[in-house]
Amino acid sequence: MRHVAQTMGTVASIELPSEWASELNAVERIFREVERRFSLYLPGSELSMIADGRLSLSEASDSLLSSYSRALEWRTATGGNFSPHRPDGAIDLNGIVKAEAIEQAGAQLTAAGCPQWSINVGGDILVSPTSGATNVATSSSEPLRAGIADPHNPTALLCSLELRHPRRAIATSGSAQRGDHIWRGGSTEPAQFVQVSVVANDIVTADVLATAIVAGGQDALDGVSDRWDVDVITVDRLGALHATPGLQSSLVRAQIT
Amino acid sequence: MRTRAILGSILASASVLIIGYQAGVSVTTGDGTSLTLPVGSTTSESVGTTADSRAISGPTDGTYTGSSISTRFGNVQVAVTITSGSISEVTALQLTDADGRSVQISNRAAPILRSEVLASQSAQVSNVSGATYTTRAYLGSLQSALDQAGA
Repeated sequence: MRHVAQTMGTVASIELPSEWASELNAVERIFREVERRFSLYLPGSELSMIADGRLSLSEASDSLLSSYSRALEWRTATGGNFSPHRPDGAIDLNGIVKAEAIEQAGAQLTAAGCPQWSINVGGDILVSPTSGATNVATSSSEPLRAGIADPHNPTALLCSLELRHPRRAIATSGSAQRGDHIWRGGSTEPAQFVQVSVVANDIVTADVLATAIVAGGQDALDGVSDRWDVDVITVDRLGALHATPGLQSSLVRAQIT
Repeated sequence: MRTRAILGSILASASVLIIGYQAGVSVTTGDGTSLTLPVGSTTSESVGTTADSRAISGPTDGTYTGSSISTRFGNVQVAVTITSGSISEVTALQLTDADGRSVQISNRAAPILRSEVLASQSAQVSNVSGATYTTRAYLGSLQSALDQAGA
């Protein structure tokens, strides 16, 4: 069954067998908790209180500090292309907490024993570890197919690919939907890539690196594909595509039937 | 055979393949790190004598297999073929990731044509990945259509 819910300023689509529908409460609770703590649109959220000085970082919750420190590690690893700070210095964990919420929700479903699921929050997708696994004797172990939106034509797919274990996560960043919302170190040049999709073994890596490549352009693309075990496809301003070999081999082939 | 000892050690790495031609040679890998690698069990020969022996006899023609080396890209093992005293071919025998799958030497993104992804555009998908849509923009998105269809 397909369950759709508004959360974190966007929409979550969750697919799971209807026998496991009761687990949706736990998943929604995770999303609500993340929103309540990290939304900068809710004046009463913990992060809003830190942003405007009502709460000091030393009084912050363990969960906020853990997300912040994880984001800082990613900032170092990406040479600053990913950053948990807005240009004005305020802490903005938007770039990581949505992916962390998906990660937690997926862990919840797997821990509950749900055999196959997919979670899509605002275009970032994670599928169950069983997806596409060949050693599972269930009839529903088909690899999950995900499409990638075409940034130049919102009603069309750019391409589609198979998400199979361990490549369970795909995230897409860009300026197609929300305007040029990724801060690029003070650069005023238009971004080289209008859309970047990263396929990885976990959703936080996929999400952070997609953002880092949009921010850092070609150098970041080369650095990421050299240093991380991920597959990438990019669309530049003129519509030209670049893809890693792994991405190309995961493209859905033409159907014979 | 001394000549075997001068056979270079080789590492295939991310994108750069630099062939060493001395025992225990330093190899610069794709990410700029430098490694010193043994080949087989005959690498204890000092480098200083290598040049002399090569001058006298040169490497014997044949195919030599390097030892398997564990790198962060997985296990790497290569074979080199010597013809007329120089390397004529380098073959990757083993290049696998942690799960034992074969992997590409270079993971860099290269240009691809729209026509190369065309076949996959019409595939049935259950989810769409795109730059984050707002709650409002969702209504006009492909994902919304899929959700309504219960895909």
